[in-house]
Amino acid sequence: MLYATPVAAVLITMVLGALIFTLLGYDGLGAVREIFFTPLTNPYKWQDLAVKASPLVIIAVGLAVSYRANVWNIGAEGQYIVGAVAGTGVALLTYDMTGPWILPLMLLAGIAGGAAYAAIPAFLRTQFKVNEILTTLMLTYVSVQLLNYLVFGPWKSPTSMGQPQTVLFSADQSLPYVIPGTIVQLGTPIAILVAILVWFVMSRSVFGFQVRVVGASPAAARYGGFSANRTVWLALLVSGGLAGLAGILEAAGPFGRLVPQFPTNYGFTAIIVAFLGRLNPLGALLAGIILAITFVGGEVAQTTIALPFAAVGIFQAMMLFLLLAGDVLVRYRIRRVANEPARASA
Amino acid sequence: MTLDLVIAIIITLVGASTPILLAALGELVVEKSGVLNLGVEGMMLIGAVITVAVVLVTGNHWLAIACAALAAAAAALIFGFLTLSLSANQVATGLALTILGTGFSALFGQPYTGKAVPLLRSPFPPELAADPVWRVIFGYSPLVYFSLIMVFVIWWFLKKTRAGLILRAVGENDLSAHSIGYPVIGVRYLAVAFGGAMAGIAGSCFPLILTPQWVERLTTGRGWIALALVVFAAWRPFRLLGGAYLFGLVMTLEVYAKAAGGGFRVLPSELWAALPYLATILVLVLISMRRGGSSSAPACLGKPFLPTS
Repeated sequence: MLYATPVAAVLITMVLGALIFTLLGYDGLGAVREIFFTPLTNPYKWQDLAVKASPLVIIAVGLAVSYRANVWNIGAEGQYIVGAVAGTGVALLTYDMTGPWILPLMLLAGIAGGAAYAAIPAFLRTQFKVNEILTTLMLTYVSVQLLNYLVFGPWKSPTSMGQPQTVLFSADQSLPYVIPGTIVQLGTPIAILVAILVWFVMSRSVFGFQVRVVGASPAAARYGGFSANRTVWLALLVSGGLAGLAGILEAAGPFGRLVPQFPTNYGFTAIIVAFLGRLNPLGALLAGIILAITFVGGEVAQTTIALPFAAVGIFQAMMLFLLLAGDVLVRYRIRRVANEPARASA
Repeated sequence: MTLDLVIAIIITLVGASTPILLAALGELVVEKSGVLNLGVEGMMLIGAVITVAVVLVTGNHWLAIACAALAAAAAALIFGFLTLSLSANQVATGLALTILGTGFSALFGQPYTGKAVPLLRSPFPPELAADPVWRVIFGYSPLVYFSLIMVFVIWWFLKKTRAGLILRAVGENDLSAHSIGYPVIGVRYLAVAFGGAMAGIAGSCFPLILTPQWVERLTTGRGWIALALVVFAAWRPFRLLGGAYLFGLVMTLEVYAKAAGGGFRVLPSELWAALPYLATILVLVLISMRRGGSSSAPACLGKPFLPTS
């Protein structure tokens, strides 16, 4: 049942979506076919799926850890941006150098940047009991302004002819392509590795157990000697670090530089991915692919059946609504209580 | 700085503040009942697009605002059904509502994109607002006066009425409120629907006061600012008014800083833009330090109500 709801949510979304878009005067069946199936049946689209899914999976895996601990980091978008900024900082410092050590250093800087940015809400929550939902969200806007400041100001490329953008990263600063002849870069195997690694840690280690206990039952965790504050720190550092990693992988991969258009809401979409994946790292891997399918399929439907891209948002929201609604069936059992006298609740 | 510039800044800032004030007032009532609805941005977009459509079809501003309020309240009730009746996670459901509103408004707004919408002008006779100084008092859209009245109404409702007391009890301790017989879920449904209606009217402000046309993502993240504002104001209506105008002032100065240069250039415009958010975080810390570690947030904020668990 636990794993049946996401599948049911996707299936019902297709049926309802076809119905709604037909009623709206669009080709409803075509929309479902192009959005959900064409990206799978057309092998040329698989590379696009890998490119779209990779950042979503990496961020969502971190968020799954955080949400399991009952820590509501909704500012992954900000940590993603700061990770990219930190990694780009290394790239700009090493611009005149060559060597295989540069890219790993950039990735580490990305992780450190994202984790450091998530450390602010962790500090505020553990020291001052400030709600992390609000601080992570506020810091996301601040990060967008930081990015704008840098690309419009000190980091603007001297050869960009007034365009707000950094210089293009050099070969040693860019992700290598892993499958010849495609646009699949190193980010994709990293995403798969991250999902498997975190799944292993979460399900097989004391750390994973601690996170799950603190999230599920703070009282039991206290009794068991697990520190709630430590878990808050770990949850935010892990989710922030992974979001930062996704950020620098995106900057050093598909973008190749920083531009004001860099924030593409991956950090917010990854929240859907984390939930659709049942807050399980391997689930996030599958869910990331499903969300990537809708993005790629939305672009297909735009050109083939002139469906506005906005329709993708409606499909995604519907999927999440149905999943959350379906959860009630997982957590509770429906009982007939008709004609039963009311009893005092325990 | 000339008087004309000051007046121009005041009028711009009041216009910019009104939608965030309206949406934040609605969200304040929702949060006071113990529910966190992160879908404000989505509901505002629904309100904005419905306003544009109804004004362009019927030409009636008031009908448009009413439809916007109803449509956004209906969207809020989807959120309400999932979080209140099905105890779904409020953060995830609110985000889904924002995604839905963004998608719906972009799709529904397509035929109306770029068409000029007649502004909703001051209800007072134009002679009153002819003089620039009087314009500061009489020169605004009726929505501005409505938002100011609502600040008082909501303060009075929460502080002085029995219904307001029940709403706060539900938000502070749902189990106790339930045990003395108040309908926790029912109160929260009403609050969520009210918050939706206010967000819808806030959405109306964009085409009727600020940018008289529909473009995709017209509200440009103001719904999120409204959420920040509620926290910034520590869940108090009159502080919300001050906070909204302060946020509006910063947003206006940011625009002037980009355009004018000179004295405004001391700080980069991006820092101006980031200030409201940094200030909100600072306020959160200060509130929690002064209260000795406990915040002034409603105690049940964001938690589902499960009477039998």
